[in-house]
Amino acid sequence: MASLFKDPTKLSAYRDRRFTGTQEEYEAALQASVTVYVGNMSFYTTEEQAYELFSRAGEIRKIIMGLDKNSKTPCGFCFILYYSREDAEDAVKYISGTMLDDRPIRVDFDWGFEEGRQWGRGRSGGQKELEAQRELVDYGGAFQPNAPPQYDRGDRKRGYGDSYRNDRDYQRKRYRNDERSSQRAPDSEFKRDANDSEKNPRFREKGDSDEEDDDYDKRRRR
Amino acid sequence: MSAGWRTLLLRIGDRCPEYGGSADHKEHIETCYGVLCREYEHSKDAMFEFLLQCADQLPHKIPFFGVLIGLINLENEDFSKGIVDTTHANLQDALHNENRDRIRILLRFLCGLMCSKVVLPNSIIETFEALLSSAATILDEETGNPSWQPRADFYVYCILASLPWGGSELFEQVPDEFERVLVGIQSYISIRRHFDDIAFSVFETDEGNSPNKKDFIEDLWERIQVLSRNGWKVKSVPKPHLSFEAQLVAGVSHRFSPISCPPPTISQSSSEIVKGQEKHEADLKYPQRLRRLHIFPTNKAENMQPVDRFVVEECILDVLLFFNGCRKECAFYLVSLPVPFRYEYLMAETIFSQLLLLPNPPFRPIYYTLVIIDLCKALPGAFPSVVVGAVHALFDRISNMDMECRTRLILWFSHHLSNFQFIWPWQEWAYVKDLPKWAPQRVFVQEVLEREIRLSYFDKIKQSIEDAVELEELLPPKAGPNFRYHSDEGKESTDGHRLSKELVAMVRGRKTQGDIISWVDEKIIPVNGAKFALDVVSQTLLDIGSKSFTHLITVLERYGQIISKLCPNEEMQLLLMDEVSAYWKNSTQMIAIAIDRMMGYRLLSNLAIVKWVFSPANVDQFHVSDRPWEILRNAVSKTYNRIFDLRKEIQTLRKGLQAAKEASEKAARELEEAKSIIEIVDGQPVPSENPGKLRRLQARADKAKEGEVTTEESLEAKEALLARGLEESKELLRLLFKSFVEVLTERLPPISADGDVPNLRAGDPNVNSSARDPEATTMEIDNENGGDNDSQLNGQNKKISHNVGELEQWCLCTLGYLKSFSRQYATEIWSHIAMLDQEIFVGNIHPLIRKAAFSGLCRPTSEGSHL
Repeated sequence: MASLFKDPTKLSAYRDRRFTGTQEEYEAALQASVTVYVGNMSFYTTEEQAYELFSRAGEIRKIIMGLDKNSKTPCGFCFILYYSREDAEDAVKYISGTMLDDRPIRVDFDWGFEEGRQWGRGRSGGQKELEAQRELVDYGGAFQPNAPPQYDRGDRKRGYGDSYRNDRDYQRKRYRNDERSSQRAPDSEFKRDANDSEKNPRFREKGDSDEEDDDYDKRRRR
Repeated sequence: MSAGWRTLLLRIGDRCPEYGGSADHKEHIETCYGVLCREYEHSKDAMFEFLLQCADQLPHKIPFFGVLIGLINLENEDFSKGIVDTTHANLQDALHNENRDRIRILLRFLCGLMCSKVVLPNSIIETFEALLSSAATILDEETGNPSWQPRADFYVYCILASLPWGGSELFEQVPDEFERVLVGIQSYISIRRHFDDIAFSVFETDEGNSPNKKDFIEDLWERIQVLSRNGWKVKSVPKPHLSFEAQLVAGVSHRFSPISCPPPTISQSSSEIVKGQEKHEADLKYPQRLRRLHIFPTNKAENMQPVDRFVVEECILDVLLFFNGCRKECAFYLVSLPVPFRYEYLMAETIFSQLLLLPNPPFRPIYYTLVIIDLCKALPGAFPSVVVGAVHALFDRISNMDMECRTRLILWFSHHLSNFQFIWPWQEWAYVKDLPKWAPQRVFVQEVLEREIRLSYFDKIKQSIEDAVELEELLPPKAGPNFRYHSDEGKESTDGHRLSKELVAMVRGRKTQGDIISWVDEKIIPVNGAKFALDVVSQTLLDIGSKSFTHLITVLERYGQIISKLCPNEEMQLLLMDEVSAYWKNSTQMIAIAIDRMMGYRLLSNLAIVKWVFSPANVDQFHVSDRPWEILRNAVSKTYNRIFDLRKEIQTLRKGLQAAKEASEKAARELEEAKSIIEIVDGQPVPSENPGKLRRLQARADKAKEGEVTTEESLEAKEALLARGLEESKELLRLLFKSFVEVLTERLPPISADGDVPNLRAGDPNVNSSARDPEATTMEIDNENGGDNDSQLNGQNKKISHNVGELEQWCLCTLGYLKSFSRQYATEIWSHIAMLDQEIFVGNIHPLIRKAAFSGLCRPTSEGSHL
């Protein structure tokens, strides 16, 4: 990458307020992270759609949909976890600002998913006829995928169970007190795209709710 | 205050606000030099570094930087001498580190410096001669190692590639010496081996040899010879130094010290296998940068001199290389190269040939998707129609396209359309629905639609083809699960329905895996048998996990052990995959994901997956769908990803262990030192350090030791995993090739009595016509003139019917994938080649199988014929 035009070490101008460490720790987390944050998605975009797109940047370990706290349905953002750093970098470089489900999505490094960060505060927006026939995936009910597992993980036979690319240590801290969305503000490149979408009615008519992001930004700046 | 000197350097030659929108190169250089002079005293060190960086990363502007350095040279000889010396050191490093891009660009930079009288022309000649002599040594059987010809070729390529930037000056100033170099190149080309790149060509011919008559060195040499005949005039390279000649001529030129090339890598052995491995290693290290793909008929493409085409391609590739990750600048520089002619068609051909480059493009294919999207936005009037033309031309030749390239094209095209509202003139391809279901054109359209639906959704894509309703037949079924034990009040409840309901209730009731396993053991297996148990359990769990990818992996994480218990062997694992494919029969994507995840949780082994893919039901799909191949690709790449990750982790752990050892030794030493300080108190030796400090040091030493041991243990564990992984990968390759050979041997038409190998494409009128007239192909690689006379034929080729029979097409397709896997995993295969030679590639194997596998490995099939 041409270092003349872009400082490759400067990953994000914004700081997620939920990160408890120092600025240096935050930057180190971004540098090493294999997680990307995806924003400005349609509420109707499914994990499988995201999988199809993001697997073109590398093998995906996990997808965590951002959910409306009340309705337990997707609310326009998600986290994608890769196995390798290079793949996460490629997702940020090559997918950010392109279309998924007719919306220009933003992709940014994330310092790492933690339990609780999946809750956003979605708002339902306008629906196009065709879109209206689609169903929102309901993540609620007795069987909640993101709830912590019930069984003792230790009872899996380690020797055999060291699965292909699935047994990475994965630290989860729990921050349940903070319900604000983890949505972060766009970097300059995203801003351009966001502006594009505001100027260009083509993007709008397809979308569900563009105010969503503005709303997040406002709260973030508060 | 005007723009700073850095910005002016970066933007030089661009039509931009920093230079008041002017496009006059002379003006740019004067403005920039003026600012550099003004700031020189304050910032000369920074300028020094920055100029070198600019030359490195903006190589298409080297002529400008050359002139600026030349002008500085008039006032400050030391500055430019420093530039020359640093460039020498950089080139020397690059040669020894085998940094290809650096070597190539530094030679161009040297030419730029020579044009501006900073470097002596004779030094350039010496540099060229050092490279040439190293190249010749490599080819020598005695002193070198001909397996490393790729390196020798690369050196010669670098010399030739720099000539558009300096040939004219060398010809003027040192004509005799320059002529000597050219003669040297000519004699190098006469002794080197022609490179037949059949393994890497995007299109196959039925004769099985590459359609290119000239390889990349021969091609470039010819372009340079034409240039030499034209008096070294190159339109595509700016010559800003000419406007400053009167000043520059007063400068003192510096000598560029002689360079040394790394010694040739001497062959370890004369065995065919070792030579093949060495050649493979050399090919990997010095890959060909571009394999030119002629997509457009010559009457459409821009008309330019052969060398100009080369220069523009080099510039495009450099922009793609250096602006990867900077979307805005990448698109800007791609559309505004400093050349006085249009080049959209050439740009499209260059980008498509990167996207389809075999074995691998320098970047992930998705990068080129992004570049094409950005170019469509940057040149809305010109580029989209060029892309449309390229797609049509490639589509017309799809039946001869390499399988790997076909897959890349499908992925690219579906993704591209998803960024442009899925708008495409589908009616032009509506005719494919009348082709047999194995016709490559039809399969291509069907797979593009499948991928579009994955990126979007069924109804949307159905709507996008409403102008070509015939194509609805090619849409996959609307995705949705197919649950065998769906509870339907009206229906009679079978055992399966009842048990499935019970299982759902247990899951809802948060019963543990252990409880459910006992329930299966007690309630299902004794009555209905293990297979039935697997059926009910897998169907029900898949249904519980059917809502999304996350639901699926949650189910597998929580209840995977139940499945694992039921599938202890390959036979049961094959049944499990049958269950998955029955449940998700309407969603190819979910079958692939479920199998991939089950492999991830080791519920399925990679060997079982290969066996399943090569089971009769799937083998029948080989030529009509990508479904089995996607699953196979996933399984093989997951296996090697895992090995790659382990290697990386081991490397990190080794470094960590080293650090831990040092820390531990240091702590131990400190403890010993502290202990050794003894005092005599009351006639007794007593440690003089206070006990608190000793305790602390002891604790620290213990902890460091513990850290060392832990790291050592995890290193050992990972190494054991890697050893197992490598063993597994060997088994995987054995089974993969065995399976290919089995299914192909069953179906390939036999060799005729007089030993003729069957021609699988015999029924294809396309191939027949091109066999009659070798020039009549729309697309030829590395053959500039090949496209001249076929623009008419291009029209005729449209809407051809497909005449290759089903069996022949199945064979072509499967052989194509065999070649593609061999090429993709060539490094791994070469490391197990002795085993494969002994067990798989044995004497009586069908020649077409051997040819497919070997050409993927770039291995000669018989004595004398190098592939």
